[in-house]
Amino acid sequence: MIGYILRRLAQSILVVLVVTVIVFILLHQLPGGAARAILGPRATALQVAQFNTANGYDQPLLIQYFRQLGEWFTGNFGFSIKLNQSVSSLLAQRLPKTIVLSLLSLVLTVVVAVPLGIYQAVRRNRTFDYVATGLSFIFYAAPTFFIGIIMIEVFSQNLGWFPPEAPQSNGVGPIFEQFDAMVLPVVTLALLSIAGFSRYMRSSVLDNIDQDYVRTAQAKGASPQRVLYHHVLRNALIPIITLLGLSLPALFAGALVTESIFNFPGMGLLFWQAAQSSDYPVELGVVIITAFATVAGNLLADVSLAIIDPRVKL
Amino acid sequence: MALLEIRDLSTDIALSKSVVHALDHVSLHVDAGETLGLVGESGSGKTMTAMSIERLLPPGGHITGGEILFDGEDLVQLEEPRLREIRGGDIGMIFQDPMTSLNPVIPVGDQVAEPLMLHRGLSKAEAMKRVVEMFGLVGIPSPLQRTRDFPHQLSGGQRQRVMIAMALICQPKLLIADEPTTALDVTVQKQILELVDRLRQEFHMAMILVTHDLGVIAGSADRVVVMYAGKVAEMADVHTLFAAPKHRYTDALFEALPERAAGTGERLYSIPGLPPDLVEPPPACRFAPRCRFAVDACRAQVPPMTRINTPYGPQEFACFVPRTTPLHEPEPMDLRTVVPEVARVEPAEVGGRGWVAPTTFIPADGVPILQVQALVKDFPVTAGAILRRHVGDISAVADITVSIPRGRTLGLVGESGCGKTTLGRLVVGLDVPTGGKILFRGRRISQLRGREAKEGRRNVQFMFQDSYASLDPRMRVRSILREPLDIQHVGTPRDRNERVDELLAAVGLPARAAERYPHEFSGGQRQRIGLARALALQPGLIVADEPVSALDVSIQAQVLNLMKELQRDRELTYLFISHDLSVVRYLSDVIAVMYLGRMVEVGPAAEVYSHPQHHYTRGLIDTIPIPDPVVERQKAKLGVRGELPSAMNPPSGCRFRTRCPMAQDICARVVPPLQPGGGSEPMAAAEVEAAVASAAARGTVPHMTACHFPINGHSAADTLVEGAVSPVA
Repeated sequence: MIGYILRRLAQSILVVLVVTVIVFILLHQLPGGAARAILGPRATALQVAQFNTANGYDQPLLIQYFRQLGEWFTGNFGFSIKLNQSVSSLLAQRLPKTIVLSLLSLVLTVVVAVPLGIYQAVRRNRTFDYVATGLSFIFYAAPTFFIGIIMIEVFSQNLGWFPPEAPQSNGVGPIFEQFDAMVLPVVTLALLSIAGFSRYMRSSVLDNIDQDYVRTAQAKGASPQRVLYHHVLRNALIPIITLLGLSLPALFAGALVTESIFNFPGMGLLFWQAAQSSDYPVELGVVIITAFATVAGNLLADVSLAIIDPRVKL
Repeated sequence: MALLEIRDLSTDIALSKSVVHALDHVSLHVDAGETLGLVGESGSGKTMTAMSIERLLPPGGHITGGEILFDGEDLVQLEEPRLREIRGGDIGMIFQDPMTSLNPVIPVGDQVAEPLMLHRGLSKAEAMKRVVEMFGLVGIPSPLQRTRDFPHQLSGGQRQRVMIAMALICQPKLLIADEPTTALDVTVQKQILELVDRLRQEFHMAMILVTHDLGVIAGSADRVVVMYAGKVAEMADVHTLFAAPKHRYTDALFEALPERAAGTGERLYSIPGLPPDLVEPPPACRFAPRCRFAVDACRAQVPPMTRINTPYGPQEFACFVPRTTPLHEPEPMDLRTVVPEVARVEPAEVGGRGWVAPTTFIPADGVPILQVQALVKDFPVTAGAILRRHVGDISAVADITVSIPRGRTLGLVGESGCGKTTLGRLVVGLDVPTGGKILFRGRRISQLRGREAKEGRRNVQFMFQDSYASLDPRMRVRSILREPLDIQHVGTPRDRNERVDELLAAVGLPARAAERYPHEFSGGQRQRIGLARALALQPGLIVADEPVSALDVSIQAQVLNLMKELQRDRELTYLFISHDLSVVRYLSDVIAVMYLGRMVEVGPAAEVYSHPQHHYTRGLIDTIPIPDPVVERQKAKLGVRGELPSAMNPPSGCRFRTRCPMAQDICARVVPPLQPGGGSEPMAAAEVEAAVASAAARGTVPHMTACHFPINGHSAADTLVEGAVSPVA
């Protein structure tokens, strides 16, 4: 088990390194280079040359890469001129909030999608199943920004239940103090994954319900509830665990749109604003963090799979 | 009073667009303490009957009529909660495949304890104590440790023992065993059947044994119910049924058994056609369309149950034209009325030129089609966290030398895991050997390159066990059969299409089959397509890996007959791989017995079968259930004990020694040479060659065995001591 985790960690580090190479190449593909991006199109050639010398952009690529790599790994992602702050301090502010948003919506997804999928599977091809399936398809197909706008329109403008804007404060603590303001962003972000995961859960339960071991459990005299929760559920969750781990980066990506709709000052909004103002150091920092989250999600999925499924050998 | 009495039970299964009438007025009873055998082909309703008893029907299934009286209660009308008390409490069940029937993510001990906690109200700790006792009782070694194992960590035989422990843990009055040994090896099958029988007597249980295997029935059942197309065809005690079957279906089943023609190799009787579609069952006798003896009455009305008395008890059958003589006496031929309509298949129109040559292009020049020399195949096993170290080898094929003369069949038998399939794959070139040579007509196929290699491949073709999985479900039969021709650029596209029609005709399928998809065919028909595909390139050698083991007896006979006919017409050579010694015996000229990667005995089929020299061969022959209750019960104590050891670290010396009743010190030290007559002292190479040459002159091979203490000619029944080896090494 430990050996397996070590091996997977080694692989993960490799993946992250590859991502840094790609990011570094992208950085150098910027039209006019970093100098143009930062100094603007009206800077003179002399200014550009001075900037390049000052920042080491005139040195060989390989040396630049390793210098850059060293800085990334010491937490130095550069400086955002637009926001007049170091990228690492920006990330330190914004990342926890995005994590809170993503985790809350992940929890909501699991809490809603798993029972929903089970119930649909048990009542397969009845009215409830058809209604839930129809709704799933709608939410799965609808773009997040559209759902977000509808949510604001209905629950904030018309019904007035929740505020239309997410908590604006810095830090994680206040988020929970104004929890009613978090409801709409979390639900918006979760709806898409609930739609997907309830479908996965439904078919996973259906796959298992026809298995021979279910018949064995019934022949032992187990009640339908016991068959479902003691026997089927653990088996049905096995594929879901993997999918959940793989969905982490998708949640991050979804947060980008959700945060901009609800003006939630998280990493997604940061990225959104950085993209609009060509704030490259910020964007690169977010990309590396997302790559990290993807790799971590995969690792987490593999390890939890090994815990729940005794057949998986580590 | 009977323990279980089923009266006029009818069960339907509702599909999305139709309703299958799976059971139609089935009546039978089981007395306390007796074993009732329920036998029939797939789709006969035997499993559906067993499942109806506890109302464990598949989705859409429901009982439409009749009653099931168990201990005075009608299970059809019973409320669910009370029925759940009976399930697992008063009635235990064992299923076919112990791998899929156990929950993969729960330790087996917990699974076995579950009925005790549900029905007897025991705490987990008390229940686990009983589980450990029960594991001991069903012969699972170190029971306490095993309770914490997961199903995938146990062998197939142990898993079925776990299933048995689970079914019996509450000491039920009735045990329903649905094909309990079909997924197991023949040597394990015997041990499991004996175990069930012993426990049944110990616990004073009644048992319903559902199986397609008449040999298993002969050895275990007291009374037998034969089912066909959802109805009871015949019911009698086991001795009467096997000696004097009455119903024409039972009669035909017996004639289709390969054992009946093992010595003569004559054509097997195969019941033509397929069992009827139970969405719209035939209105009168359901067997009439396939029956050789059907008269007008059979097609006009449903035959009523006739009851006669025999010395062993009553015999009942639903047939207008019952068999007039006991099974061993032939009947007058004039009783046969007509060729059944379903037997008349219109073969495909064969085009103008006879493109499929009646003989193969392999000349009869005495060069053996296939020579395997000192063949070795090891599969490496790796372990380790970061660097995958090579920690050992699974020795799948170890030093095998064998050859097949042209136009003959080499039957390869052995338990699963003995390396027979690996050998087949090596011969076809699907795997690369670790050592040794495979010569096809004196040339090494593996060393051919480019064009020659491609053409060399034509000569050896493969026929798979699972006809469904081995045919691409999205390709029409025409494309499937054309593909080998396309790859090898045989003839023009028009030629190839004609060739497909000819191939279909050759395997007895109608021409319109070419435009259909594999799922539209039955198992037997698909296996015909598999054979046609193997024949497409007119190969000299066909490697057939368990081609009939998934088929019902009557369909199996059709495929075996076809293989034999094609061999005669085209001088095909077969390497026939099977675990079923009676099928191998029927089809083969030479039998080779493999054990854990090594060949332990090889020789002319009749000789190996009647005078086995190796203790393993002898044990295998004794282990096979014979469809004759008298013989089967006499040999009850013989057979191979224990389970196949791991091929990862095979036993030293003779690999069979851990299960051999005759094993001595030398067996652990010296690998016995494979030579005529066996023995420890290697013969001079010239002597062996002389024996091979003289046998080759007679068109066969010498009888060779690899055993230090071979059984010499006479029956060795007296040398086998039961319990000489512990069940698990």
